Parts: sequence; structure tokens; C-alpha cells
Amino acid sequence: MGAISASTPAQAPIAASRWARRWLPWMLLAPVLVYLAVFYLVPLAIVIVSSVTDPSPSLSHYRDFFTDSFYLRVLSRTFATSLIVTICCLVLAYPLAYAMARREDTLVVAMLTVVALTFWTSFLVRTYAWMVILGNRGPITALFRMVGWDPPPEILFTRFSSTLAMVHILLPFMVMALYSVMKKIDPALLRAAQNLGASPGRTFRHVYFPLSAPGVVNGCTMVFILCLGFYVTPVLLGSPREQMLAGLIGSQIEELLDFGEASAMAVVLLLVTLGLVALYNRFVGIDTLWG
Amino acid sequence: MTAQRRIDPLTWLILAFIAAPLLIVVPMSFSTAPSLEFPPTAWGFNYYRAFFSDSRWLQPLLNSFIIALGAAALTMLLVIPASFAMVRHRFHGRALTNLMLLLPLMAPHIVIALGYYSYFGSLHLTQTYAGVILAHTCLSVPMVFLTLSAALKGFDRNLERAGANLGASPLRVFRHVTFPVLRPAFVVAALFAFVQSFDETVVALFISGRDAATLPRKIFDAMRTEADPVVAVVSTLLLAAVIAGVIGSRLWQRRRKRVNALAFAMQ
Amino acid sequence: MTTAADSNAQPQGAHYLDIVDAVKTYDGVRRAVDGVSLAIPKGEFVTFLGPSGSGKTTTLMMIAGFEEPSAGDIRLDGRSLVSIAPHRRNIGMVFQNYALFPHMTAADNVAFPLRMRGVERAGQQRRAAAALDTVGLASMANRHPRELSGGQQQRVALARALVFEPDVLLLDEPLGALDKNLREQMQVEIKHLHRSLGITTIFVTHDQTEAMTMSDRIAVFNNGRIEQFAPPLEVYARPATQFVGGFVGDSNFLDVVVSDPARGIVGSSTLGELNTAPSALAGGTAARLMVRPESFRIDAGSDAPEGRWNRCSVRIEGSVNYGDSVLVMGRAGEIPIRLRLSGSDAMPLREGDTVRVRWRPEDSSLLAR
Repeated sequence: MGAISASTPAQAPIAASRWARRWLPWMLLAPVLVYLAVFYLVPLAIVIVSSVTDPSPSLSHYRDFFTDSFYLRVLSRTFATSLIVTICCLVLAYPLAYAMARREDTLVVAMLTVVALTFWTSFLVRTYAWMVILGNRGPITALFRMVGWDPPPEILFTRFSSTLAMVHILLPFMVMALYSVMKKIDPALLRAAQNLGASPGRTFRHVYFPLSAPGVVNGCTMVFILCLGFYVTPVLLGSPREQMLAGLIGSQIEELLDFGEASAMAVVLLLVTLGLVALYNRFVGIDTLWG
Repeated sequence: MTAQRRIDPLTWLILAFIAAPLLIVVPMSFSTAPSLEFPPTAWGFNYYRAFFSDSRWLQPLLNSFIIALGAAALTMLLVIPASFAMVRHRFHGRALTNLMLLLPLMAPHIVIALGYYSYFGSLHLTQTYAGVILAHTCLSVPMVFLTLSAALKGFDRNLERAGANLGASPLRVFRHVTFPVLRPAFVVAALFAFVQSFDETVVALFISGRDAATLPRKIFDAMRTEADPVVAVVSTLLLAAVIAGVIGSRLWQRRRKRVNALAFAMQ
Repeated sequence: MTTAADSNAQPQGAHYLDIVDAVKTYDGVRRAVDGVSLAIPKGEFVTFLGPSGSGKTTTLMMIAGFEEPSAGDIRLDGRSLVSIAPHRRNIGMVFQNYALFPHMTAADNVAFPLRMRGVERAGQQRRAAAALDTVGLASMANRHPRELSGGQQQRVALARALVFEPDVLLLDEPLGALDKNLREQMQVEIKHLHRSLGITTIFVTHDQTEAMTMSDRIAVFNNGRIEQFAPPLEVYARPATQFVGGFVGDSNFLDVVVSDPARGIVGSSTLGELNTAPSALAGGTAARLMVRPESFRIDAGSDAPEGRWNRCSVRIEGSVNYGDSVLVMGRAGEIPIRLRLSGSDAMPLREGDTVRVRWRPEDSSLLAR
């Protein structure tokens, strides 16, 4: 009946297991860490090194970047657009997330399904949809013609079209970031506030909004960072004369074949992005960025 | 502020804004006009036929499948042991390792695409399956890691202790207890990696091409050059796949009546 | 520390489960378990009782094999368990949250240990069905844990722990999540199972009522040590330390000095000379006198009964009526006193009243300070 094996010297297996226990985590992590080192850190290092060595060792690329007004305009445009997109996403996502968070029924499941759908659809497909909608044979221009605006204004391949499409594409991220925090707000707190004399407006201002703030910070940080490095949509829908940083990097390689210049810009983009992440981590903690 | 019965029109409007634009690609795909004319004046399956008979579209479709499968498999192999290590062990350098595992998520794709362009170029890995799979695996590591870590953190260790107490060796505990309970999360993580690789555009633009061109690369080129209505067909097919996937998973979730790992993803 | 050797109720039979000077420390400084020794004969029902962090669960985990003793040994039937991996110890365990495998039916859960031991399919099913029948859940065999109530899950966990006829049964606060009625019902069932199977059982709880009703002997844990290991009545009536006296049951403590150990006379600064049982403490020792609230009687003065009685006056500060008894809180001099009066003594008392009470010397315990 008993399955107890004969007792073996107690020390040897315990010592062996202690050694294994110390090194086990590293053995489990080794594959992925070595892999990332070889296939991620090395190319990243190549970019960084190239920015100061291609074609010859110097900081000329960085000097160009920060003195040439063209580059500086691209940089400020990228920041400005990212800010606009973030604010628009916040303004649109907040009421939606709010409405969804307060309900428990099947309707909210349907709404979540719709948001999930757009979340999982490729950026390219969504960009294409806007290309159709805003194209000069699309429904929007048809609408313009109907109200008598002929020839209708060119809305595609402008900063407006690329900004609009980016708002649309990044909106689900903001919605989910807000929703996941709002879902956890205890309705009892709101009832307590009202019971203590706060009107619905003041309850929102003093209780609900502050409690939803972590979601706001999460969502805005995520959307802003995604926007800064966004390549696909601005290149496909934006104006070639008003590029954003990622697009500029791409064209630097494709058209001008200037790897060093492109690398320098990529490093700037990388540093800004990582800087924002570091800032976020310092004040909030990186684990919360994904709920 | 009790939950109201009606949802106000603003919410519906926003929801419409999110969903409606997508729907436009469906009727577009049935147009037979040579340009992006909407509403379409002529209807037919022309562009569907064109798509399914054009190897310049079908090859990238196949390539993307193969690459996504490879990337998903490789990512899972690398990340499963890593997430166990990170969640269940305490050791020096854990914070730094955490950062390292999340780095590919934080850096914009254009930056690393540049690196791959030069690095894989000199290694002759560009325009090969291997190159894209290797790159996509790196990009999928963070998301898979987050999903698996979340699942592991929520896993009740007592189940494993019970397994051991009842006579299962550590390996048997993993086989009979740990894996079956975590399987939904494993499936979702693998799905994430697959979809992320399948849809990935920027890196693919720089290092895939010719024989190993991915579908997104082909779509991007098509949109850049001709704004080809065939793209509407591809878009509709992709959209249909996503709809099938999302609705299918909801139904499965309702059948199983337990926490769907997809809910982890949506956080 | 009172060990089994000192206990009057020394059970016969070889010591089956022996914990010898077990120590557990995580950081080398603080000891979660600080030299615990227990000798448990076969078939005994032992309760580990103590507050959170007292080391009772850690000790249990060491027996099960999920914690490794930093020092000391654990022996089953003479053989050391310490080097044996948990999956080879043949010990049944019921976890606090039951730990039923969610992806298996109740029957599969119960059959699992048999499967691990290589029992053939038919045997697995037969024995699992029998085990579920023993706990009254034969009809739930094909349900999954999430379809079962808390009490039902509990019973499946019990069946699973017993189906492979283990040498020892461990229960880690298994009844905590159940409501009062269900808990009492399960206590009876567990005791019943213990008696019919005769299996050596260790039950961990922080609920002293549970310990009192179920155990053959109680090991009272405090700060990683066992302060007393004795049958329930003895733990209650003759607590070995102040902690045991205070933890098990309600109690009053008075600071006294031993005057005459042979005749059992102690002196209290507030209440003067008091009588207690003859003690082993030397004269002049500072000690604590423990008297349980239910030991007090109203002293009407006129009916002076036989024997030496202690008397004092208590000024009432508040009372709570429990229906069958009245808990009175007050002061004797400056000392806070709790009285539990029942029967004819349980009359309404008002705040500010002074009442005269008495208690017998045998109803008090003298504890070292």
C-alpha cells in the first residue's frame, strides 16, 4: 500500500536540488534572452552605431537633424499630430467606455465584440477603408457634390485624412484602456457620494473622473507612443509634403539610400519613445500599461 | 448614477464611427469598376476571381500563413519557459529581464526594420522565410509573454501541490494539471503571435520580398501604386476571418462558461 | 513546552508520526517554525491550533513535503520523510481551497491518485465511485468542480485524499469557507470518517471551538512553537501557558505572587489573599492567575457553601445578554473582569451596580508570568 521508497542519503538530493533551483530560472530564460540578444539587440545596435559611423564617424547626422528646419518641422509635426490624435481618441473613447462600463447585459457584450473586431483587424485594412471613404470617387466627395461643392475639396492625401484615419485606428486601444479601469470602479462609491450630497455632476468630477484617471493616463500614453512611430497610415493616406517622422525615415532609405541619416532619425525616435515609457514607468509603473 | 436602460445617441455615434468604416470594404469588393468608386456602379465577382487566380496575390497569402505559423511556434517555444521563470522565481535582474522581454513592444517598428534591413541584408536573410520568421518572433515575444504571465499569475499553485500530493511527479503534474488548465491561455497567446505576424507591415516592407513577400507587403504596394480594388477583396476576406474568429470565440466562451483567455487580451 | 511525555492522557502504541525538533526559517533570522516536536500514535486525531503566522500551516506543509525543514526530522513509522519527494509520500491532503482540478470531473479527480499509481481503468472507476459514495456524492460523479457547491467540493476533496488509503490525512483549514451549519455538519462527517477508517489525522485550524470538538489532542502553536500538546479538556482547564489560556476560551488574568505553594495560596495586590490548587511554582514567584468567566457564581452571602471559596466585588460596566447566559464586563478594583453568568445567576444587571461573586480554587489555573 505505502509507496514510500527506501530512504536515501538526505543530503545529496537536497543539495543537488538547491543548485538546480538557483540556476533553473536562468536556464528557462536563456533561450529567449539569447535569441533576443542575437536577433533584436544586434540590429538595434547596428542602427545606433550606423547613425554615428555611416558614411564616416561623426555626429553630422544629428547636427543636421537638429539644425535643419525641415527636420525640425517634421519632428514638431509628428508631436503635434500625435497630441491631436491622442486628445481626439480620449474625447471619443471616454463616453463610449463609460457607457459600456456601467452595464452588464448582453448589449455590452455585443459592443465589446464590435470593439474587439476593429481591434483585431489589420491597420492596413482599416487604412484602406478610409482610402475608399475619402477618395475622390467615394461617399464623402459624393456628399460634397450633393450640397453643391463642386469640385469637392481634396481630402485624401492630406494631413487631415491621415490624422482622421489614425484616430479611427487607435480608438479601440483607448476604449479598452479606459474600459478596463472603469469596469473596476465600485458603483457603491458613486452612490455614497450622492448620499453625502454631491450632485451627479459633482460626483463625476470629484469621484468618478479621478478614479478613471489611471485608465486615461494608460490610454493616452499608449496612443501617443503608437502615434509617434506610426508608419503605415501617414505614408498611405498623408500628404507626401507633410511627412511624419516614421515616414521620413522610410523615404530616407528608399529614395535617398542614406542609411546613416535614417539611422540617426530612428535613434531620435527611439529615444523619445523610450523616454516617454521611462517617464511613465517612473510615475506609474510599466506593468499597468497593459492592465 | 444607476445603469440606465437606454444608451444615448452619442455612444451609438461613436460606436458607428468605430465600426462603420470597416463595413465599406465589403460592398467595395463586389464592385467591378476599375477604380475606387463608391457607391459601386457595377456589381460582380470580378475582383474575387481576379484575386483567387492571381499568383501574385496567392503566393503572398501562402507566405504569410507559413511565416505566421513559424513565428507563432518559435515564439511559444521561447516564451513558455521564460514566463514560468519570471512568474515563479525570484532572482536578481528580474526587473531588467522584464524590460528586455518587453522592449520589442516599446520600440517603433520602423527603427528595428532599419536594423533588420542592414543586418539581415548582410546575412543574406532578406527575402527569405527564415528572415521574416526570425524578425516576427522577436516582435511577438512581448505580447505572448504578457498573456502567458497573466495566466500564470492567476494560476492556483495548490492545484500543482495537490497533483504532487496525489502521486504525480513534476513532469506528470505539468502534463495532467498545469498544461490542461493553462491550455486556453496558450491558445490565445499563440493566436496573438500568429495574427501579429500575419498583419505585420513595416518590418515586412523592409525585409520580405519576391518569394517571401508577405500579404501586408503586397497590400501596401498595391495601395501605394494603384489603389487597386482587389485590395477590397483581400480586406473583406481578412475582415471575414476576424469576424469568424471573434464571434466563434464568443460562442465557445458561452459554451464553456469559464473565463475566456481572450478577456485577458482585452485588458 | 509540554510534550506528550508530560501529558496524563498518554496513549498506548508506537509513535507513528514523529516530528523531531523541526525548524523552518526563510531568511535565516526569523523562524517560522522554531523547534517543534510531536509524537503522534497511529490513528490519533490531532489538531494544530493557533493564530495566523504561528507556524501550524508551515509544519503541515513540511509533513506534506511542500516545505523543507531547515533543521530537524519528520519520521513516518520510523523512516525519515525529509528526503522523499512530495509525490512519493503517500499522504492524503485536503487543501484550504480544495484544489480540485477544474478540467476534470469529480470522478476523474478522485481517480487521479489511483491513475498515478498505475491502477487499471476498471479499478480506478470502481474505487473512485466507492469513495464518492462514502461521502454521499455518488450522483455528482460526472460533474465538474465549478458545478458543485462549496460543501460538495469539500467532500470531493476528502474522497480524493482518502481513495488511495494513505498513511496519514492532513487537512489545512478545510472548513473556513463554509457557513456555520455546513461547517458543523462537515465536522461531524470528518470525525465519523476518522473513526471508521482509523487513519492518523492532522487538522489545522484557528477556530478553537472546532479544535475542542474534533480532536483527540490539540497542539497549540504560538510563534513557531508548541505551547501545549494535550487533550482538549486539559488544554481548556489546565492551560500550560498564558497564551494557551487566553487563546482557548475566554479568560481573566490576575497578577499574583505565590505565597504558600504547598497550600496553594497566592497574593493579589488588589484582591488580597486568594486560594488556588497547590502548584509547582516556588514561593515569591510572580505569576498569573487565570479564571474562566463561567467559573463565577453570584455570592449572596447567606448561603455559604462548603469548601474554600474566593470572593470579590465587581463593579458593573456593561453586559450582553446571550439568551442562555449573560456576559458581564466590569472591574474588581482596577482589574477588568469578565463574568459569564447563567441559570439563576443570569439576572439583569445595570451599569453602576456592584455585585459580589465567588469562585472555587480548583477553577483557577496558576501560570508562570
